[in-house]
Amino acid sequence: MSKKILYPLLALALVFFITSLAVFIQSSRSAKKEIAPSVDTQPGEEFKASSFIKFKVFFFGESQGLMKPVVYEIERPRLKEELYSRLLDIMLRGDKNFISPVPEGVKVRSLYFVAEENLLVLDFGDELTARFGGGTTAEMEFVYFIVDNLCFNFKEIKKVKFLVMGNPIKTLGGHLDLESPFYPDFSYFDEQ
Amino acid sequence: MKKKWLLHILFLLTLLIPGHALSLQVRVSDHEDYSRFVLQGDREFDYELTEGKNTLQILVKKKADVDDNTVIPRDSRLFQDIACKIEKKSTIFTIRLKSPFRIDKHVVLVQPFRVVLDLVAGEESPAEKREETDIPAPVIPNLKTDIQGLDPDKSGKKTVFDTICLDPGHGGSDLGAVGSGKTFEKDITLKVAQKLRRYIEAKLGLRVVLARDSDADIPLDSRVAVANNQEAQIFISIHVNSSSRKSANGPETYFVSLKATDQDAFNLAQQENQSLDEIEKIAAEDELKMILWNMAQAEYIRESSKLAEFIQAELNDLLNTSNRGVKQAPFRVLMRAAMPAVLIEIAFLSNPAEEKKLKDESFLDDVAASIYQGISRFIVFQSNLQNK
Repeated sequence: MSKKILYPLLALALVFFITSLAVFIQSSRSAKKEIAPSVDTQPGEEFKASSFIKFKVFFFGESQGLMKPVVYEIERPRLKEELYSRLLDIMLRGDKNFISPVPEGVKVRSLYFVAEENLLVLDFGDELTARFGGGTTAEMEFVYFIVDNLCFNFKEIKKVKFLVMGNPIKTLGGHLDLESPFYPDFSYFDEQ
Repeated sequence: MKKKWLLHILFLLTLLIPGHALSLQVRVSDHEDYSRFVLQGDREFDYELTEGKNTLQILVKKKADVDDNTVIPRDSRLFQDIACKIEKKSTIFTIRLKSPFRIDKHVVLVQPFRVVLDLVAGEESPAEKREETDIPAPVIPNLKTDIQGLDPDKSGKKTVFDTICLDPGHGGSDLGAVGSGKTFEKDITLKVAQKLRRYIEAKLGLRVVLARDSDADIPLDSRVAVANNQEAQIFISIHVNSSSRKSANGPETYFVSLKATDQDAFNLAQQENQSLDEIEKIAAEDELKMILWNMAQAEYIRESSKLAEFIQAELNDLLNTSNRGVKQAPFRVLMRAAMPAVLIEIAFLSNPAEEKKLKDESFLDDVAASIYQGISRFIVFQSNLQNK
């Protein structure tokens, strides 16, 4: 083989080796699934490196009316607000081993965080009011399932306000006053 | 032996030392339809009211220490200022109002002892006001005395309890919870309220006002407005429960929670190990926490808790659910109630066994009888407290 062909081939092999090495290092880091605390970045800021994050999501079990934790691991999105949406996706999707207090097909249209008030505002679609089955306990289970999980996983969130189609609502099913924001009630958690 | 003598002397000395001065605290607040003046003492006191055109004088027949932390809401609709004059044997409060007024409600509450005056602008009498409302004022029957310990007022003064407002939850297009056997919450709540009305009228001789007496759509805020306008002394909202958990069962009685409406005041109070009354004081001192004052129910939390306790105990006896307790939540229908107010969840429609029971008229009769017993026990308890 002439040197004219050998050198470019060697250079190409070197580039391939370095690239493979970089990919390997990156994938081995991902495999470790580095867990970082959920509140090291403020809303609006970008996360510095790609990593994974754990959520502890509490779902209602059949007995006692208490929520039990399930750990989920997801890749970090670029922005903190996207993380709120990811947690809400998991919560609204539910877990087959537990009972969901969320009526089927309910979606969050948008959300925003008011930093100075530590308030997360959730705007639900009108299917929430249309499909809600009624009952004080069902209403409390829904409200505290949402509020407790968000406040537990993101310590910058101290209270949650519910909107439907962009507007405040008086109640969901004629019981709890939803015009004011809700604070968490962690007594619904079976363990933390 | 010497120690024994010393103890006797100390005991006699304590009898000679006069009790500490009466301590009074004033609170004022503006609400949607009225302005409230509360005079709270650390113990019971005698007082007289004198109404002027734009002034109201309260003469407390004792020299008192007065807490001067009263905050008049900025831009109060009615209150101009409050002056306090402490004399040798009396304490006089003079409330100056921005316009002519009338006393819409005058109640005395105990534990702690407090005089609550709800004032409205204008000189219209309550009778004239009633004529304008949709609901006619029923004739108040005489109070019967078939409940042990409950005596009619012999002084000719208005009896403390004369009207009870029952709110059958939901109605009209709002079905409430629906059972798998197509049982509607709105129908059960109306039946129980009507049965309960019969019990209260027949056995207690009290006037009962229903927030709805047919299958009608009545907004939540109008239901409590009925109770406030009719000057009811007790408000009971009747509901049937539902849960995503099929096994959920049993009755629950709720009263309003301060916690979910003003967490800052609640946290602060908890840190400092303060009472509900002190929470209210904190709220009065901080404009940001004025939200508490928008909740007429704040003044009646203690009584509402007691009422809930009595009713829940009766329902537990009926349904053999001794481990269930009284709960708190921020119910919209209770927040603006200017009287002891509770919300009862009779049983779970989402539980097939309980739905079956809820279809049974005799079970609903028993439920109404149990709630009636709870109300009676509360009335006796409150009457005994006020007669002490």
